[in-house]
Amino acid sequence: MGIFDAFGTALQALWHDSGFYSLTMGNVIMMLVGCILMYMAFAKEFEPLLLGPISFGCIIANFPATHMLDEPGAMQLISFGIKYEVFPPLIFMGVGAMTDFGPLLANPNTILLGAAAQFGVFIALFGAMALGFTPHQASAIGIIGGADGPTAIYMSAKMAPELLGAIAVAAYSYMSLVPLIQPPIMMAFTTKAERQIRMGQLRQVSKFEKIVFPVVCTIVISLLLPPVAALIAMLMLGNLLRESGVTDRLSDTAQNALCNIVTIFLGTGTGMTMNADDFLRLQTIEIICLGLVAFAGGTWAGLMFAKIMNLVMGGTINPLIGSAGVSAVPMAARVSQVVGQKACPGNFLLMQAMGPNVAGVIGTAVAAGAMLAILGTPNK
Amino acid sequence: MGNIQLGVTIMLINMTIVFAVLFGLCIMIRVIHAVDPTNKKKEVAPAKAAPAPAPAAAPVAAPKADNSAVIAVIAAAVAAYEGDDVKIVTVRPVESTTWKNAGRAVGIANKV
Repeated sequence: MGIFDAFGTALQALWHDSGFYSLTMGNVIMMLVGCILMYMAFAKEFEPLLLGPISFGCIIANFPATHMLDEPGAMQLISFGIKYEVFPPLIFMGVGAMTDFGPLLANPNTILLGAAAQFGVFIALFGAMALGFTPHQASAIGIIGGADGPTAIYMSAKMAPELLGAIAVAAYSYMSLVPLIQPPIMMAFTTKAERQIRMGQLRQVSKFEKIVFPVVCTIVISLLLPPVAALIAMLMLGNLLRESGVTDRLSDTAQNALCNIVTIFLGTGTGMTMNADDFLRLQTIEIICLGLVAFAGGTWAGLMFAKIMNLVMGGTINPLIGSAGVSAVPMAARVSQVVGQKACPGNFLLMQAMGPNVAGVIGTAVAAGAMLAILGTPNK
Repeated sequence: MGNIQLGVTIMLINMTIVFAVLFGLCIMIRVIHAVDPTNKKKEVAPAKAAPAPAPAAAPVAAPKADNSAVIAVIAAAVAAYEGDDVKIVTVRPVESTTWKNAGRAVGIANKV
């Protein structure tokens, strides 16, 4: 009988120590949420490179009694990469290495369209504060409107880590929905004549300009807004590696191997913040709704400012490129191209739209830096 | 009302900062272009080449390999794009990597 007692005690201990014993309905729901996100990522191809790891991280985060985030190990290290804002700047280096600032340098006026599109960030910030979020939380929610995943995660980790999971999911989901969200707004707020405007060919940009711009940009913005120095510096370092012409190996690594490695960890780490206690709240639904407002507001503001620029500059600016100020590179620029070609076949707006598109990346980082500088980080 | 007022204030201040910084970058880009030493060399070189553009174009346009099929395809595409009242003068490789990459991106994506 002693053996059976021991066997029974061991089984009982195994059961009490297992995750099944501690599993809550919230954990089950979040695992289902993870599965839904995985379906969106793999079956519907909504930003699969990010939503895939995020979805799996979400499932992992809801295994009870693992203590994987409390004990030193790979999972804790990955979570630290999010918590201490390590991954977003590294991703930005890859983004910089993949970015061509040529269209922006050829037509510097389009940088203002990148600024105008950040209005969506502040519309969402205002909406979040009206709903009762704190200013710090509202600033993190507002950055969804910048359509910039790494900046959204960077901002959330600093200002509202408890909302990071919801903000990241909203940001990446809406980024993948840019081709669905933007065209109706573009059609509604522009006339056919405006959509048919053909823009002149961009001038050639010299290597000197392409090398000096990232250096000067880094110095100016980092001195002005130190909180985002890490993001801007890594973005421009990646761009320098690309444009120098003598660091092709490093550029190739930044664009490919490094970016892919960090993407895996960033996504997984972001998903691991989506535990049931933090995610299953009314705030999550509010954040998702505010994210849509931010996106739509940014698109609208970019279009409106482009229309104003068109009036001032004598009809030489197609307002459709204004919506590309939302920094979903290069999807927003492609949407401008598609809508423009529907209005006027043969109207090639892609390169013109890339100017405000890449300007939006800088604009979102500046918007984040401005909010960090004014509001400061909450006491942790 | 306090939250709404604070939200509007933050919105106005931050938008002003964003516009000011990016306007400053716009000015800075123009200054970089103005002081670009390689820009002056390019402005001088086309002036020297101006007296003999036709002879210079011919050797560039005459490939060593037989690319007549490629040239025919390009000519047909341009004619379809622009219509009949177009005369092809020369066909030469695009120097700008921006346009090359844009064309490749369009071709690969096959969505635009």
